[in-house]
Parts: sequence; C-alpha cells; structure tokens
Amino acid sequence: MSFLKKSQKPKTAAEERHAADFRFSHMRLSTILFIGYRNMFSNRMRSVLTIGGVAIGIGIITLLISLGFGVQGMVIREVTKNNPSDIIDISNKSLESFALLDRQTIERIRKIEGIEQVEIRATIGGKFFNGDAQTDVVINAISRHYLDLARSDLDADIREKIFLEPRSILITPKLAVLLGFDNPDDSIGKTIEYTGVVTGDMLADVEEAPARSPEEIEAESRLTIVGVIRDQAKDDAVYAFMPIDEVRKRYGKVAGQFAKARVKDELSIESARLQIEQTAFVTESVIDTIADINSFFSIVRAILVVFGVIIMSISAMGMLNTLSISLLQRTKEVGILKALGTKRTDIFKMFIFEAFLISFFGGVLGLLFGYGSAKGINYGINLMASKYGVAASSFVEIPSMFVVLIAVFIFFLGLLTGIFPAVRASKIHALEALRYE
Amino acid sequence: MTGENEVVIRVVGLKKSFHVGTQDIPVLHGIDLEIHKGEFVLLVGPSGCGKSTLLHTIYGLENPTEGTVYIEEDDIWEKTKDWRANFRNRHIGFIPQQPFWIKSLTVIENIAIPGVIGGKTFSESIPLAAKLIELVGMGEWANHRPYDLSGGQQQRIALARSLLLDPKFIIADEPTGNLDIKAGETLMTLLRNISQQFGITIMMVTHNIDQYKFGSRIVNMVDGRVTSDAINQHSIEMMEQDVMDLKKKTETV
Repeated sequence: MSFLKKSQKPKTAAEERHAADFRFSHMRLSTILFIGYRNMFSNRMRSVLTIGGVAIGIGIITLLISLGFGVQGMVIREVTKNNPSDIIDISNKSLESFALLDRQTIERIRKIEGIEQVEIRATIGGKFFNGDAQTDVVINAISRHYLDLARSDLDADIREKIFLEPRSILITPKLAVLLGFDNPDDSIGKTIEYTGVVTGDMLADVEEAPARSPEEIEAESRLTIVGVIRDQAKDDAVYAFMPIDEVRKRYGKVAGQFAKARVKDELSIESARLQIEQTAFVTESVIDTIADINSFFSIVRAILVVFGVIIMSISAMGMLNTLSISLLQRTKEVGILKALGTKRTDIFKMFIFEAFLISFFGGVLGLLFGYGSAKGINYGINLMASKYGVAASSFVEIPSMFVVLIAVFIFFLGLLTGIFPAVRASKIHALEALRYE
Repeated sequence: MTGENEVVIRVVGLKKSFHVGTQDIPVLHGIDLEIHKGEFVLLVGPSGCGKSTLLHTIYGLENPTEGTVYIEEDDIWEKTKDWRANFRNRHIGFIPQQPFWIKSLTVIENIAIPGVIGGKTFSESIPLAAKLIELVGMGEWANHRPYDLSGGQQQRIALARSLLLDPKFIIADEPTGNLDIKAGETLMTLLRNISQQFGITIMMVTHNIDQYKFGSRIVNMVDGRVTSDAINQHSIEMMEQDVMDLKKKTETV
C-alpha cells in the first residue's frame, strides 16, 4: 500500500502542508484529448453534424477566398502579359492640345531620369482594297523595338516576317474577313492595295519624302499580308502592323502619336511619369490597372468577409449549442470525475479541448473541402475551355497568410465557443452534478 | 496511536445545516467520531438522519457549517478545494449509491480513471485496472460499456475503480441500495475481504440490517446525532475466519 510521502520522510507540519499543496497531479493533455475524442466518437451523429457545420462554413470561405485571390492573380497575370509593369504608355491628352512625338520630344523624354528606352507608334488612317472588297483601316506603324517593349505575345516568327521583306503587313482576323477572306489564314501571302491619309501635321522634322517615280508609287501602294495576328483585348479589332520605316519611305518623317517608354525599375516609374506628363502627354502604366484590379478585389473580399462572418456565426452557434448539450448530458460525468478528485482546471481543459477538437477537425476538413472544390471548379472550367480551344489557366490560389488566419480563427472559434461550457463545467459542485437529473 | 488502533479519521464537533429558501435546516447536530485504521464502519440509521451528509463531509465534498474533519493529521476543511480533490484521488476510494461512469469509455477504462485523473496515461493505468477487474470477478466484461451491465455488476466495477490507486480509505454511500439481496451480499463480502486483506479503512452507509454482520463497527445515527457506536465482535470473528480461509485458498492456488 502506498502512503503519503510525509509518513516516509519526517518534516515539519508547515513544510508538509506546503509540499502537499504543490504536489497536485493533473491529468495529461493526451488523456484529456483522448477522452474528448472518445466522447465525440460516442456521439457520432452530433459530432459529424457540428464538425460538418464548421467545415461547411470554413469550406465556403476558403472556396470564395481561393477563387477570389486566384481570379485576381489570373487577371493581373493576363493584364501584365502584354503590358510589363516597367513600361509607361505615352499618349496625347486630347485633340485640342495634340503634340507629336518627334525626334526632339523623344530625346527629351529619353533624358528623364530612370527612362532607358522610348519607342514610338504612329497610327495612320487609310483604306485597303482587295478586288471588290474594301475597308477602312488603321495602320500601326511600328519599329521592331516597339514590339519588343510591347512584349506582345505575337509569335516571334510571324513578328519577324514584316521586317524581312519590304511592304509586309500583319493584319487582324477581322480585317482579313472584311477584305473578303472567309478564312483569315487564306489572306497570308496575298497582296492588297492601300491608300493612306498622312497629313502635314503628322510629319515632324519637316523632311520631304524622297522623290519617286510613278512606278515606285504604284509599287508602294501594294502591300503583302505576311501574317494574321489576334488582338488580345478585342476579337473584332481592325488594324494592321507595318514597319515605321516603310511608312517613312513613302510619306517622309512621320512622327509618333503614341510611345512606350521602358524604365530601369518600377521604383522610378512614378517620377518618370510625372516628368513626362509635364510635357503635355498623358501616361498610363499597367500599375494603374493593377491598382484598380486590386481595389476592386479588395471590395469583393470585404463582401466575402461579411458573408464569412455570417456563415461562421451560424457555425459557431451550432458549436456552442453542441457543447452546451454535451455539458448537460455529461453533468453526471463531471460530478463523478470531480468526486474522484479531478481538479477544476482539468475539467475546464476537458471541455475547452473538446471545443478545440471540433473546431480543428472542422477547420482542416473545411480548408481541404474549400480548396478541393475550388480546384474542382477550376478543372471543370478548364475542361470546358479546352473544348472551345481556350487555353487552360489556374484561378485558384490560397495565400499562406489566409491559412495562418484560418488557423488563428479556428483557435479563437474553439476558445470562444468552448470557454462558456468549460467554465460552467469547472464550477459545477460535484454532489449537485451527481444528483442532476 | 500506531498500528491497528491508530485514529485515522477524526470528526470534531461537526454541524451542518442546509439553506432551503429562507430557512436553515440543521442536518448534523455536532458529531464527534474517531475511526481507527482498518475498521469497516457501517453508518446506519433512518432516512434523512444525516448519514450521507456525514460521509460526504468526511469525503471532502460537502463543507461543514461548523466543526471539521481530520484525516490522519490534516484538517481537510482548512485546505483548498484542489488539495481535497488531490487527496480524494490519491487516498480515498469512492463507491457512490448509483455508479456513475464516463459513458464513452469501456469498463476497464472507467476502472483506470482514478489513475488518469492522477496524471497517469491510460496505458499505464489499464494493467492495474486489469488486475482489479479480475479481483472483482468481472474480467470478461472489460471491453463492454459500463451501462450495459447489471446494477450488481456495475457496483463491483465501482469497487474495482475505488481500489485502483491503493487507497487508505474507502467511502461507500449505500452501494447496495439498488441491488438485490444476492448482489448486495456479494459486494459486501468483497468489501470485507478487501478491508481485511489490505487493511483499508472503510466507511459505508447502509440501510440494510442484514448487512450489519459485515461491519466491524456499527455507528447508529438518528436526527443528525450518533445514538450508538459499537464494535461488532461477531463480525470481527467472521472476518478473521474469512481471511484465514482466503489465505488458505491463495496458498493452495
């Protein structure tokens, strides 16, 4: 038989009392968790429903958030694909204060701190003729460097073609259709006739076009289509790309109406933009668009948070209900545990850890379920997209910060819903609990 | 005092009243009692005489209005709640009138519960519980749920649970109250043997006159007072005989 330690080691009464007061043994965390788990398991239906409630709540939030962040990321990816974030687009404010990007202006812009490269684009109105078919058209006169800056997703081979042979152009599919080619690809290699309208005020640096013979003029009005390009933004865009050198050969020193400037780094972009804008131009950067996208999505997220709070309040009430009923059903268990010597803190822990177990299982299942459903939706949409020939893309993303937030949230959910029943349980008087009916 | 005559529980001037509405209803009117080591004390008397209240006060669950209880040298009502809880867990086995269980645990896990409360793991406590379940002859029921068992079986399990941590005392509040005569006798025989074999001091409340023969001392209470307190010589002789038999049996086994 065991005896109190004091009977083995003689001590003073005060020492004994002091020692005894500090020898209290507590239940182990593992056994508390085990009993909590057993209790959940023995009330399977109730536990499944409660954990399910939490899981659905967290799952819906995870689904919405991962789609929200994913779509935001996808949109930003798509936007920056053709518009790198170190590029400034320069254009005119309005027709009243129209300024040309001539050599001088470009030099000025080039000297602005942080600017590394400036390339212009001139747009020229005109008409294309193909047999009986004719259509108004916009020719974008560009250099190879301009296309580099645009970092457009044009196929490199197609892009190079307009610089290989003189009088080569790239056209959009819609333009090909307007020119009488039912299948846009049939237009490749065909020659069309062209008249352009270049007025004097588009010419900078007052350089006369070289004198040409009527044969040369005749030849210059013929252009060969070397490729069909798809516009990223608009399916029905009607324009053509043509090397600016070709245009200049014909019309003289055509200046640009638009330009793209590349900056050293994104940090110098704002000051460079300010300085360019002082020279009567307006600037645009994809950073503006990204900021707009981000602010739009932060509104979406705020709405999601409101939804989330409502959903989680319902889940939390379900949990609180379950834990309160669990306490009522286990009042006698609390009574006998206390009668057999369980300390109040251990009873408290039993109930709070049961709440933690429910919120933990609910949270983990919810995260998996939410992320899984989002991935499923992504997969389904990609499957459909591939049928229509659209490239698959990923629009599901869980920021690690969100996972941390969910973990913190799960902890507080457990704490808040568990604390009330746990405090009540720890305060129950053993005899009253045993008499409880 | 030492040895068998050592006073291990001392109840001093114990009074208890319950507050009902605006009234104080006195239940114990000043009890003085000394319990010696190894005694099997039966608290008897009519319903409402305060037996259970006295027992619960000694067990450290019902605080007295006046007076106190010393167990060994400690004034238990001077101590903190946690001290009493700790003391109950380590040194007192408890058999309530109705057995109460942790529903989600098996019979053997329930027997192991005092060990778990005292900071042991289930795997450390279950081997002990396995020995005790054999002692009370319920080995085959180890993995059942306690509430599936009959009243008598449950009380034998409750006895096994009370013995888990080698208690110095057993406090039993009418454990045979809901049992038939045979089940009651079985439990009482077990209690008496255990008391004798291990020198455990037992305090037990009973209503049943037939069970008086099992106690070594009968304390009779009426209206919150001790009216008689006598050594049960006949019972002691029987106990000694039983222990002799048990020893012989064990030796032959």
